[in-house]
Amino acid sequence: MASLKRSFDSDPLAANISSKVYVRSTKSGKVQKIVREVYLRQDIPCSSKLCKTCLATAPKTASGTPIPPVLSNAPAGTKNFPQGHYIVPDTNAFLTAMDLFEQDSAFYDVIVLQIVLEELRNRSLPLYNRLVSLTKSEDKRFYVFFNEFRLETHIPRLEGETVNDRNDRAVRKAVAWYGEHLARTKVKTIPAVVMLSNDRDNLRKAKAEGIHACSLAEYVKQLKGGERLLDMIPETEDGDVIKEKKPGQLLYPEYFTMSKMMTGVKSGLLHQGTFNVSPYNYLEGSIRVPAFPKALLVLGRENINRAVDGDLVVVEVLPKEQWKEPSTQVIEEETIAKNENPDADEGEDVISEKERKALQEEVKRTQSKTTEGHAQPTARVVGVIKRNWRQYVGHIDQSSVSQSGQQGRKQDSVFVIPMDKKIPKIRLRTRQVAELVGKRILVTIDAWDRGSRHPTGHFIRSLGELETKAAETEALLLEYDVQYRPFPKTVLDCLPKEGHDWKVPASTDDPGWRDRQDLRDLLICSIDPIGCQDIDDALHSRPLPNGNIEAGVHIADVSHFVRPNNAMDTEASIRGTTVYLVDKRIDMLPMLLGTDLCSLKPYVERYAFSVLWELTPDADIVNMRFTKSVIKSREAFSYEQAQLKVDDASQQDDLTKSIRTLMALSRKLKQKRMDAGALSLSSPEVKVQMESETSDPIDVKTKQHLDTMSLVEEFMLLANVSVARKIYEAFPQTALLRRHGAPPKTNFDELANQLRVKKGLELNVESSRALADSLDKCVDEKEPFFNTLIRIMATRCMMAAEYFCSGTQAYPEFRHYGLASEIYTHFTSPIRRYADLVAHRQLAAAIEYEAVHPSVRSRGRLEAVCKNINVRHRNAQLAGRASIAYYVGQALRGKATEEDGFVMKIFSNGFVVLVPRFGIESLIRLRDLAEPEPVASFDAETYTLRTSGSREVAVELFQKVRVRVTDQKDETTGKRGVKMEFIRAY
Amino acid sequence: MPLDTSAYSLALLRVDGRRWNELRRIHAQIRTQAAADGSSYLEMGHTKVMCVVTGPSEPGPKRGGMTGGVGGGGGERSSTADVSVSVVIAGFSSVDRKRRGRGDKRTLELQSTISSALAASLHTHLHPNSTIAISLHVLSQDGSLLAALINAATLACIDAGIPMTDYVVACTAGSTSTYAANDEGADPLLDMNHQEEQELPSLTVATLGSSDRVAVLVCESRVQVSRLEGMLAVGVDGCKQVREILDRVVREKGRRMIQEGTIEKGMSLDDMDID
Repeated sequence: MASLKRSFDSDPLAANISSKVYVRSTKSGKVQKIVREVYLRQDIPCSSKLCKTCLATAPKTASGTPIPPVLSNAPAGTKNFPQGHYIVPDTNAFLTAMDLFEQDSAFYDVIVLQIVLEELRNRSLPLYNRLVSLTKSEDKRFYVFFNEFRLETHIPRLEGETVNDRNDRAVRKAVAWYGEHLARTKVKTIPAVVMLSNDRDNLRKAKAEGIHACSLAEYVKQLKGGERLLDMIPETEDGDVIKEKKPGQLLYPEYFTMSKMMTGVKSGLLHQGTFNVSPYNYLEGSIRVPAFPKALLVLGRENINRAVDGDLVVVEVLPKEQWKEPSTQVIEEETIAKNENPDADEGEDVISEKERKALQEEVKRTQSKTTEGHAQPTARVVGVIKRNWRQYVGHIDQSSVSQSGQQGRKQDSVFVIPMDKKIPKIRLRTRQVAELVGKRILVTIDAWDRGSRHPTGHFIRSLGELETKAAETEALLLEYDVQYRPFPKTVLDCLPKEGHDWKVPASTDDPGWRDRQDLRDLLICSIDPIGCQDIDDALHSRPLPNGNIEAGVHIADVSHFVRPNNAMDTEASIRGTTVYLVDKRIDMLPMLLGTDLCSLKPYVERYAFSVLWELTPDADIVNMRFTKSVIKSREAFSYEQAQLKVDDASQQDDLTKSIRTLMALSRKLKQKRMDAGALSLSSPEVKVQMESETSDPIDVKTKQHLDTMSLVEEFMLLANVSVARKIYEAFPQTALLRRHGAPPKTNFDELANQLRVKKGLELNVESSRALADSLDKCVDEKEPFFNTLIRIMATRCMMAAEYFCSGTQAYPEFRHYGLASEIYTHFTSPIRRYADLVAHRQLAAAIEYEAVHPSVRSRGRLEAVCKNINVRHRNAQLAGRASIAYYVGQALRGKATEEDGFVMKIFSNGFVVLVPRFGIESLIRLRDLAEPEPVASFDAETYTLRTSGSREVAVELFQKVRVRVTDQKDETTGKRGVKMEFIRAY
Repeated sequence: MPLDTSAYSLALLRVDGRRWNELRRIHAQIRTQAAADGSSYLEMGHTKVMCVVTGPSEPGPKRGGMTGGVGGGGGERSSTADVSVSVVIAGFSSVDRKRRGRGDKRTLELQSTISSALAASLHTHLHPNSTIAISLHVLSQDGSLLAALINAATLACIDAGIPMTDYVVACTAGSTSTYAANDEGADPLLDMNHQEEQELPSLTVATLGSSDRVAVLVCESRVQVSRLEGMLAVGVDGCKQVREILDRVVREKGRRMIQEGTIEKGMSLDDMDID
């Protein structure tokens, strides 16, 4: 018999082959054992410019270009390593202090070990991505050393050794190897190789093995200006001392293990969802889970159990006797937890006395009511699947600063109050309290362990003085995650070389003219807001011999300039949208394109993408076509100018006539939409008027609605719908569309109930048509604004519209609820929205103008794009609104005016008033009414709040009230905002 | 979980530590089953397959009870030998235990690809009215399955002494970035493992001996045409390396058999042309 057994000795490669065995569990809970080959090699370079041997064996790409060495031949030195040094951080160093490594002042010549990179990827994908982008930056000199593949540094896991210990050992081994390897280069000054770790055990072992090793704090202290950087090291590390002092004092219940949560969720006993904090009550959260139609309530600190807004958590439903009503009370953190001492976490219970009292009142009220049906199911958080922690903008709570902290440079604990009210206070340890007080600062949360009431975080950087324009604007951009850095060079390299001198080629034989229709002789004009520079769209109309009308919408041909998958396209897809702030615009595309080459400026020829319809005088579509074109806009009107021109009967030129024709058509189009059940919704919109030179806000105006606005709007909607049909027909699986889901009926429950109780009006939410009709009936003869108020409140009950890829939804789900259109997309603003750019590419492919680019056909990729632009779109809206709110506050600075307002929401200890004149809403608390706080009785059935005692007032929902509006610096958020004082009810 | 294929650009190293143009370790043995006409065992990394060849033999109920191919009843007469291939993928060969039925479409496709590739290079006309039954068993899978099967079948046919023009050798080639990433500077890759096959575009190519004649080319993933040429060139180059390795195995086995006296010495020197 021949034996199949073989000895590894006969194989010359055997010593170089190892395998990696690990066990993983899949999403469905299966456990898999994975065995992977590992080929060990000796030609992985150390990548130091000092080492000549590695230079010779540098790996080459298939095209023969070698990778140049990364690490400097004269790295910077520190106090302890004057000869210069290379840094080798371990995983924990990156996990806890990635911000440090991104500093410009230090942390150059870093060796990132493969094992560290792998561990980091397992622990946090965002951090991994940040590190990878660092390794790609040329000036930071980060080198990834694949220690697991190098023969000398690969180590097998020993029997009984934990994975962590093995990985730590691998790091030490790599550091030691680097030391020996560099010593062999025989240069005069050999840089030290320093391991950075915060693991005591690892540091101790490193010292024993004779390797240079420092903790992060030790290391940073050696640097010049290290004091400043010291704050960026998370507090948990040097906080060891504190922890040792007070063991076992745990305030929060322990989280379940991951496997327990997973089995619980699978069996339906536990529920998973995103945790949302109520904007009015920081101790109340809600979580939507797929199992129930309505959200579950999470009440109180202990039940919230360290979850922060946006975290993906697992909850357990509480027994029925603990079910409660959602709070009718405003609870703000600063009023209740005002005098907490950031250092004193010991001994206290997790729920402070005051908090407990506030909760007791809640319970009393719930129980006093016999109607048990009102109580809502509550739940408690039993674990966090994924944290949604990001960087937060905030400012230091003045009251938490101790006197000693003001003077010395001793490390001190302070609270940072985030701008976002839904985020709890963050405990921060810093040595620069004196400098940071009164500044906008950027911080991040590091941990929230069971022993501390508030999460702990560390300082990243200061944005500037509170209430300075620069700091507040940057804070806003950071808070809404808007990418506002200047465009990198790689992006600018994608622009046409001619710059502003670029012109449509004169010769129609030029390749740019291929398949383009010459529409330069058409009377095209654009209508936009005043001062608009990025003109996306232009229109024209002309009568046809058969009595019909040709109407055309011409959109800037951005896809001609932005080719798929180049640096500019990638940047635009990340930015997703242009963000408009009151005083600033953060562009999606570089200025040259947005405001010049793409912009359909008047009197010059521009490339466009045109949608042309033949319409009957009744605005029925006879036929339509799409074409790339060259146009020459005759004039760029503002809405006001265009309106004047249309209204002026003496103007009888062709251009004016064509606008009038469009106007007539748009009215008919609008009527058709309304008949189909389109909603006319409302949001309080105001415009801040700025002084032209200093750009200081001087006044606030509500936006006026002109017919010309709805003219443009109607034709844009028509174009979008037409394009959506076309690209869906061409790409049934991958068309990029926009949908607006029908809101669940329960969303309207409260509003419908309020209307019924207060006004005797019925809100029918059966369909968008029924809703539109019943909204039309919501009128109060005495109060014209009432209808708008209801529309504003109804808008807030709606779902958000979203971009999606057609293959991910069934056709009936495509519906745009608000517009009552079966199918919809965004096509008309490619300069400022990325979705439109994708639609342009898809339409170009659909009309066979160009080949289908893989990026617009790959469904996975489009889904990723949709996900990103949905978030960006939302953030851009929020940032824009926040910017208006800030400037309204600034405009009112030092002024006090009396205005009319309406009660929008009512609590047992306060109410929310909307002032339409400024488009602002604000909370008026009972204690603001009079001193001492009046006693109040709140009737939740009739939405009425009556006070007695120091001041007697009766306030009910939808009531018109007179308020005094002044500006006030909000101590919580550090924002200047408006403050309302109640004068009287009408 | 280790890094994925996107880390390649960091240091030009693949997920298992290879460079772009390196094969995995190939280990092959022939005549692993003395009782069979021809047999082989082949490992390409962690892909492990064994092959047993029966024949050329007369088709009939007695020998070659294997079904598949054409010569079922022996009623029809053909001028060439019939190459029937059966592939059995063991349930334990992949990470998740999976039972594949007889009619599994992927397996059928593997069988017919191998069958037509070998039929073209075996001198089937020398054995009319007979069947060459090739039975392949997959013991472990880690990518490049088709390539490993073709190589094992070639070795077993050589062991069985079936005359053929040259080795049919196969290997896979891929590219370092995905189709959607559309990276112009992507490097081609040689010999894909399972993880790479999952994440990146790849193709299987088989050539005839050391020539550039392509016998099999299978590409099931989407890739830009501009990248295909590079991938193919690397694949063909890999096939040459595989041929060298297989040839060494055959010669080594031949030398041993002569030493052990399994074959008459005189005959071997003339006919087998060893060294």
